[in-house]
Amino acid sequence: MFRNQYDTDVTTWSPAGRLFQVEYAMEAVKQGSAAIGIRSKTHVVLASVNKANSELSSHQKKIFKVDDHIGIAIAGLTADGRVLSRYLRSECINHSFTYESPLPVGRLVVQLADKAQVCTQRSWKRPYGVGLLVAGLDESGAHLYYNCPSGNYFEYQAFAIGSRSQAAKTYLECKFETFMSSSKEDLIRDVLFAIKETLQGDKLTSSICTVSVVGVGEPFHIMDQKTIQELIESFEIKEGEAADHGVVPDRTPEAAPMDI
Amino acid sequence: MSLIASTPANNSLLSSGMESERTLYPYVTGTSVIGIKYKDGILMAADMGGSYGSTLRYKSVERLKSIGKHSLLGASGEISDFQEILRYLDELILYDNMWDDGNSLGPKEVHNYLTRVMYNRRNKFNPLWNSLVLGGVKNGQKYLGMVSMIGVHFEDNHVATGFGNHLARPILRDEWHENMSFEDAVKLLEKCMRVLLYRDRSAINKLQIAKITEEEVTISQPYSLKTFWGYSAFQNPTKGAEGSW
Repeated sequence: MFRNQYDTDVTTWSPAGRLFQVEYAMEAVKQGSAAIGIRSKTHVVLASVNKANSELSSHQKKIFKVDDHIGIAIAGLTADGRVLSRYLRSECINHSFTYESPLPVGRLVVQLADKAQVCTQRSWKRPYGVGLLVAGLDESGAHLYYNCPSGNYFEYQAFAIGSRSQAAKTYLECKFETFMSSSKEDLIRDVLFAIKETLQGDKLTSSICTVSVVGVGEPFHIMDQKTIQELIESFEIKEGEAADHGVVPDRTPEAAPMDI
Repeated sequence: MSLIASTPANNSLLSSGMESERTLYPYVTGTSVIGIKYKDGILMAADMGGSYGSTLRYKSVERLKSIGKHSLLGASGEISDFQEILRYLDELILYDNMWDDGNSLGPKEVHNYLTRVMYNRRNKFNPLWNSLVLGGVKNGQKYLGMVSMIGVHFEDNHVATGFGNHLARPILRDEWHENMSFEDAVKLLEKCMRVLLYRDRSAINKLQIAKITEEEVTISQPYSLKTFWGYSAFQNPTKGAEGSW
């Protein structure tokens, strides 16, 4: 993307019909560390890669609980993400108060998208620099949505955002047809493998990632580090066996499991 | 009720006659509504009378209305406030439908919305002078609740407003049971309505029964109950108290 004379204002169109400020905001999402979501008929799993500025600091919080039945993972400007999660929580609790009933995730996502769109049409505002993976339940089952800074939103079976997310997407593209009928454990396993794809060389441990689950009969919660570490270890053993059967396709890096 | 006739000297605190207007008394009122759960859903009954004080002025007032796909609302109390509530709910259902996303407001949501509206108005000392019965079925779940004009709300298997609380609910407590058939439930409601007809002076003998199930809402055409006045004690009513009339 090159600097040009049409990219100063969000309210300026380019001759090609593009809003460069909005596109630059979407670039910010790509710079953030990865976040991945997968859903089945009854569960949605979100995972994020924890980036810490230095060894001395703690890592940024990227997964937020919005309500018992909705959670989000963000990538990009985490400050914008924090503000938006406050808005989402507020909308959910207002709905619960008035109607004694959980806000359907599809409606929350539309409200969020409309809020993001406003920032693309005011000269005194800027678009939010954060992409959100919204995982939630409503009457029709489990849903995973991706909300863009542009104000667009899409529903996904599985998706990855942030840096090196293409590697995760490639992994997910092979397996997505099986996700709808997957069990919760399979979803967690697949999301951990997808996270591993984005690490490209670094070892996958529970300190480097966060995993959260929401499902039918299971309120949104972030899984604790110890359980994640145990799962990683048990999956790595299985992956050693599975690689022999070619379950994991050849596009993934050919490092022996225990060497990563 | 603004003090149109008052002189400027009296309301010096309130400029240009802008007295706050709020409901002080009801004018045209409906009497009891009864609602019960039965096997397939909810049944509600209400008569069609609108009293203007002690005069039975309006005799074709529909006090049972369907709300959206899943709910039925019955109201007693001020009829104009009931019409206002129907306008609020109309807007609510309209916006709900405009989402066009497969989600819809069920009876529980409508009941809670009404509770918030009634309680909010009560807090502003400008109540909607109604007692509301809200019933419905969604996804196989039956729901029956009540909201009063001060925002008191609860759910139960059988509810009634006004005189119905005193005359109908004792009958319902004895004779209601789970999974009543439609015919049995109608008989029970008619029994309660008959007692109300005999004993509530604002009741008239023209009622509607409304049914809501998972599939549909039906509100019956108005009809009358058979009454019996041939009791021997009515032949010579002053027998036990000579001189009275």
